[in-house]
Amino acid sequence: MSRSYDRALTVFSPDGHLFQVEYALEAVRRGTCAVGVRGSSCVVLGVEKKSTLQLQDPRTVRKVAMLDDHVCVAFAGLTADGRILIDKARVECQSHRLTVEDPVSIEYITKHIAGIQQKYTQSGGVRPFGISTLVVGFDPNDTIPRLYQTEPSGIYSAWKACAIGRASKTVREFLEKNYTEELSRDEAIKLTVKSLLEVVQTGAKNIEISVMERYGVISNLEQSEIEKIVATIESEKEAEAEKKRARIAATQAGQASMAMGSQAVSGTQTPSAGGAGGAGGEEGHATVPGEETGAQ
Amino acid sequence: MNSVLTQIQPPAPHSRLEEQDEFEHTDAAAWGSMAGFGNLSRTGGIAGMSVPRVADPTAFLDMHTDNMSSNPEAKIKIAHGTTTLAFKFQGGVIVAVDSRATAGSYVASGTVKKVIEINKFLLGTMAGGAADCQYWETYLGMQCRLYELRNKERISVAAASKILSNIVYQYKGMGLSMGTMVCGWDKTGPQIFYVDDDGQRLKGNLFSVGSGSTFAYGVLDQGYRWDLTDEEAQELGRRSIIAAGHRDAYSGNTCNLYHVKENGWDFIGNYDVNELWYEYEAKKKADRETATAAAAAPSPMAVEP
Amino acid sequence: MECSFGLTGKDYVLLCSDMSAGRSIIRMKSDENKIKTLGPHLAMAYGGEPGDTNNFAEYVERNMRLYHIRNHYPLLPEPASAWIRRTLAESIRSRHPYSVNLLLAGYDTTTTKPHLYWIDYLGTKAVVPYAAHGMGVYVSLSTMDKWWFNDMNKREGVEVLKKCVDEVKKRITINFNFNCILIDKDGIHHINIESEDPISEYEAAQPKDTVVEAPNPPLDVGVTA
Repeated sequence: MSRSYDRALTVFSPDGHLFQVEYALEAVRRGTCAVGVRGSSCVVLGVEKKSTLQLQDPRTVRKVAMLDDHVCVAFAGLTADGRILIDKARVECQSHRLTVEDPVSIEYITKHIAGIQQKYTQSGGVRPFGISTLVVGFDPNDTIPRLYQTEPSGIYSAWKACAIGRASKTVREFLEKNYTEELSRDEAIKLTVKSLLEVVQTGAKNIEISVMERYGVISNLEQSEIEKIVATIESEKEAEAEKKRARIAATQAGQASMAMGSQAVSGTQTPSAGGAGGAGGEEGHATVPGEETGAQ
Repeated sequence: MNSVLTQIQPPAPHSRLEEQDEFEHTDAAAWGSMAGFGNLSRTGGIAGMSVPRVADPTAFLDMHTDNMSSNPEAKIKIAHGTTTLAFKFQGGVIVAVDSRATAGSYVASGTVKKVIEINKFLLGTMAGGAADCQYWETYLGMQCRLYELRNKERISVAAASKILSNIVYQYKGMGLSMGTMVCGWDKTGPQIFYVDDDGQRLKGNLFSVGSGSTFAYGVLDQGYRWDLTDEEAQELGRRSIIAAGHRDAYSGNTCNLYHVKENGWDFIGNYDVNELWYEYEAKKKADRETATAAAAAPSPMAVEP
Repeated sequence: MECSFGLTGKDYVLLCSDMSAGRSIIRMKSDENKIKTLGPHLAMAYGGEPGDTNNFAEYVERNMRLYHIRNHYPLLPEPASAWIRRTLAESIRSRHPYSVNLLLAGYDTTTTKPHLYWIDYLGTKAVVPYAAHGMGVYVSLSTMDKWWFNDMNKREGVEVLKKCVDEVKKRITINFNFNCILIDKDGIHHINIESEDPISEYEAAQPKDTVVEAPNPPLDVGVTA
């Protein structure tokens, strides 16, 4: 029997690692970023969309898919693997309805997806799925939004807000810092966009947002809506930066004046002028360029 | 298109698990698929449930058992003959059954428990082959518990009855004999599903099953209202079983009464059919007498026309 | 002991089925819905061997929904009928065939044409303007032969259907209750065929009150057109 040899892909390394699974995780880390945020009564999925080539039809590139009326999934990693896994999950959703009449619960389908992923770490002649998924939705007869994550190893877990894919660590840290309980719909969307902007340099045109508001009610945000949100976030950031710069300028001025001791103080160098909106900010920028880049 | 055909397998008996796609060589149950059915196949049956080892088990069972009409004189008399009923009303679900088991013309037992307590919130009734009902409903109880453990919530009555109907549909035509009502209370409220050996599964407010069901229907239908009080509903269930026990030779002995409410079922009591019948008769007679007496006696308030 | 009718009109199709379910001579239910909605513009009335009927209908329903979710658009009536016929044709050649007869009715949103298919358990499929299964065959086919004509409007179509239902009630000893739907460009709607003037009632009612729950329209999530 040659079987024991061709199963070698999934054997442990001496220190207890499954290298193939870890490589799969690496594939996930190279995939585009996806973020899920749970609000008080909705759940938001945001994905980083690769720029499509000039002649490519953008509709054929999908990173978010419906599994059933009430379940939605986003993934990061190998898109082709994602397609297969999504199809298996869709079949299971219908099969579940056929066998027990009830639609799947979100945890059930997550467990199922994770189960498939796990199976591909323990079977001969196969390789693991190179994707992590975010599964969102509402359970039947329930109003609590759900968010789950699965990994190539077959681990699954529930989250309040989660990121997968490229720079997911940065985004997750951002979410940890900025997530608050009981987010409204708009707040949840904003947090999602904001966190995505941590990794998406090109702004709104490479972001895609889907919002599920209750059982079976899901919508995509229009490009213009996302642009608007990005614009507000940017102006807020700008204002924030202004304040910071002004503060820095002010402290600097204070230090300078202190250093100068009893010397005469020029009118423009007063702290109050530094805090006075745009003009003062420009000035601050002009005076301390080095500090500005350091603070960002 | 072809993949659609193969991927959701038809709930066809026997063909199950024969086609296996890609890497499905390990039993899917091993990683928790199939709507959480452990060692069940997708169609709900148990792999390895044995049937008579003859070329055509259906014809064999048909020949040697009496539950199919083609050979009522068969030597194997399957215990059956029953009256069971269940109905929904504003206060929950009433389940009432008799307790007689017959094998041919022989009363095999008068103390059969025909309500199978699947769990705290689910009851199954038993009509048809006692063995089939007992076995598969106990098995259903097991599956319901597994479902609970896997999904961290109680199974719905719809899902539980669907599991049972998938199982019996898989063995359709192979001599299973059961007509059962799966009753309970779930997130959606009180529910009754009728499941029989044809694989038929009906959702409804009021069902009666068994040889005495026609007699039970006769009382039940006429007395049924949605807004019955708890006492009235229990009495209606009891009275209907007594009626069937009186008229149907294959039903009788005692009546077991259950009431399913929001926080689970209650066993209301066990009543002797014979005793109750004569009680009802005596009461009817007494009521008639008082009624005629009242009619005969001149009413003091009567005004001469 | 069952009875169903189908009838096409100018830009709609009607489907009508009895609602009884039982075992031998006992009717256990007189409000069982035996018309299965298969898509936003597709439905079937089915009958046959108890047990097989529901199992088959649900099997078809779930596969239609799977197609819809996978492709973001529902299967059109013509391919749906071909798939159902084929499923039955394969089933009859298996060890345990489905004994299910059905009428498949659909509205093709791409061509704006109504479709009606008569399909039986042997895997026969016929494209028909009007059809019946069960008891209705004996008394009402001639009714439809006589009164049906091309491109009927909704009122005319419902009138013919009412004649058929009346005839069944008059000549068949079994007492049936009927359930009726109308499929047109607006989806699937319920029609009270037992009332005096179903079509006026239907037109007076709010669409949301008569709509028959159908699988949700395609959810183009992830699509940026």
